[in-house]
Amino acid sequence: MRRILIILLAIAAIAFVVLQFFQPEKNSSNDTANLIFKHEQIPADVEAIITNACLDCHSNNTKSVWYDRISPVSWMISKHVVEGKKELNFSEWGTFDDYDKIGTLEDIRQEVEQAKMPLKSYVMMHPEAKLSEEQRKILLAWIDKKSGELLKATE
Amino acid sequence: MSKKSVFMIAVLFFFTAYSVNATVTPTGSKAPAMPDNVKAIIEKSCIGCHNTDSKNDKAKEALDMKTMESLSKQKMIHALKEIGETLEENEMPPAKFLEKYPDKKLTDAEKKILLDWASSEAKSLMK
Repeated sequence: MRRILIILLAIAAIAFVVLQFFQPEKNSSNDTANLIFKHEQIPADVEAIITNACLDCHSNNTKSVWYDRISPVSWMISKHVVEGKKELNFSEWGTFDDYDKIGTLEDIRQEVEQAKMPLKSYVMMHPEAKLSEEQRKILLAWIDKKSGELLKATE
Repeated sequence: MSKKSVFMIAVLFFFTAYSVNATVTPTGSKAPAMPDNVKAIIEKSCIGCHNTDSKNDKAKEALDMKTMESLSKQKMIHALKEIGETLEENEMPPAKFLEKYPDKKLTDAEKKILLDWASSEAKSLMK
């Protein structure tokens, strides 16, 4: 019995090691040419909120953490990032026209208002990403202000 | 009454109800202008689920074409953007729905008409 257990553990250990050779592409880029902060005047508190609660999944640069190179966790993270960037990518903000920006801001508004974002699983691992009621209000107020400005600018 | 007749009557009802709504535009209205060809497509393939009286909660929460004109400019622009993206991805009408009602499938031409409309309406709101 003990022998079987040892063999199984050995297999699991080997499988785990082999798994480490299969890693997803890392989401990191130093190109901030189109990052939202380079294109909009954003108050410090809003910038902090976006940076801490959003950018890891919604930009071209995910902050490194010790466990993000360990399979299969690295794959779970990558899935979040790929899906997140597909829905919203703050690194591409500079390429949006005003019409896209307004639509995007409204998308963000809905997710934040309904507390669907940031993801609970993300906040669990990143307590600095947790948004208090106050912080949500700050973010929503900025969104309203910004989209109002964008509309006015076109009139 | 056969199911088909009930359904036809329901469609006619919504057609009429929607037409009446469309002609009564409030002052300072931001109602998206809807040319006849666009209206026809929407009535055929969309408004059945995407209206206030729909039993499909998910659909009317996502988009209620009857109350669209009461949306703020920003929300309207966003709604038009979402419509465009959804159509581009061929996500609507939903495949399951089309299994039952294949005649409601959007042809390429109809899809293009709707996409052009959504895009030009949003742009005009920005002026």
